[in-house]
Amino acid sequence: MQRLNTLKYIKNVPELFVLILATSACYLFLETQIDGMAFGGQGSFSGVDIIVISFLVSVIIAIVAVIAGVGGGVIFTPLLLAFTSFDTLLIRSTGLVVAMFSGLISTGPLMRKGLADIKIVLLGALPIIIGGMSGSFTAIHLARRLGEQSDGIIRLLLGLMLLFIAAVFVFKNSSSDYPALKKSESFSQFLKLRKTYWESSLGSYVSYRATNVKLSIFFFLVIGFTGGFFGLGGGWAAVPLMNLVMSIPIKVATGTSGVLLALGNAAAIWPYINVGALIGIVAAPWMLGQVIGGLIGANLLTSLKASAVRALLIIILFASSLKLVARGVETLTGIEIPVL
Amino acid sequence: MIYGQTIYWLTLLSSFLVLLGTVVSFIEKDSPIPTKQLLQSVIDGKNVDQIWQELGLSPAPDILFFLANPSVGESITMIGIAIGVSSVVPATFLSAYFLKKSRNPVFAILAILSGLLTCVAMTGIIL
Repeated sequence: MQRLNTLKYIKNVPELFVLILATSACYLFLETQIDGMAFGGQGSFSGVDIIVISFLVSVIIAIVAVIAGVGGGVIFTPLLLAFTSFDTLLIRSTGLVVAMFSGLISTGPLMRKGLADIKIVLLGALPIIIGGMSGSFTAIHLARRLGEQSDGIIRLLLGLMLLFIAAVFVFKNSSSDYPALKKSESFSQFLKLRKTYWESSLGSYVSYRATNVKLSIFFFLVIGFTGGFFGLGGGWAAVPLMNLVMSIPIKVATGTSGVLLALGNAAAIWPYINVGALIGIVAAPWMLGQVIGGLIGANLLTSLKASAVRALLIIILFASSLKLVARGVETLTGIEIPVL
Repeated sequence: MIYGQTIYWLTLLSSFLVLLGTVVSFIEKDSPIPTKQLLQSVIDGKNVDQIWQELGLSPAPDILFFLANPSVGESITMIGIAIGVSSVVPATFLSAYFLKKSRNPVFAILAILSGLLTCVAMTGIIL
């Protein structure tokens, strides 16, 4: 029944239907009509195989990310930094593309449903843009100054941060679906950061008022910096910030996060593009996977068990963090650490 | 609404361009950015400066290079990505107009500032 609903959904969104058909046709053409090994490869996988596999993995990442309530970047970047030898700047710039595009394509549907608060988006956008650009510039500058050593530092730092993120997912069980209405501070009242939206699962309207606005602006700056520096996006932090600190209902926090980070990361990605650190042929399948997977994931959201998907996410995060820390230490010290 | 719809359709447009660019990359002959060399260099783990140097492109190409060579597969792909990434700019400026009309001047200003900062990032002025 769910498969029929998904097919019906795709057909009701004809542009998505056309995109899926076109993508499938193009990749099928490349696999069958092009001599893949003539375009390089690794082991038994040709260059074309790697492109197609990237697309399929990206679709899966997008679906897992949507259901787990995070951006794709927090899965993509650590996975590739841990388990491939691609240049770290290239991975991080592509990670920002991954983080952005699922947010971009869901912006329209989320705003139509009233699940993304444009005022919160614009409030958070400026600090995230400033933080993101600073993070990108710092990443590029570090890579140029320290070379291979910077790769080791990045892997180690990201591995440790990922352990923290994974721990947050394990121990944090305190998201609040509908935070109680608190008296908001004068700044929030001046900005009129209050809204009412239709909650279909309750069959009623839900009201909220944003709190701790000034503190949140500072945290948005930090989220932007880590997103731009590591190529992660920032949904893993933005959602709990909006829900637990700003007292925004979890659905609105999740929806707003996607829209906010799409806007915020748009500026962070340009420094990478301007120094040639984003390579189109590599980023393309990841981007397409996020667009298609993000839309499909949103449709599967109601039917798949979120707890099972979150468990899978935690395993991926822990495995990636262990491998990242090991590779970081290996690069910096020369000591081989046989992990995964 | 206008914000969401602008971004949605520009993102879809960029997706189709990226798909076209990918196919062109694999079927074009005598490209200034040969896909075979580009892919193999990435797989071999070379850093981005090395990758572009070995293709005879130093400094690395930026968006102006791709706009100047629009028939190259990699250019079509990068222009597609750039359209998607830049879709937020017209969306924020349009939102600013409607926010001003609906008497939310503070957020209209925030929208304009966000759009302007993104434009500055695009130009590479502060790199």
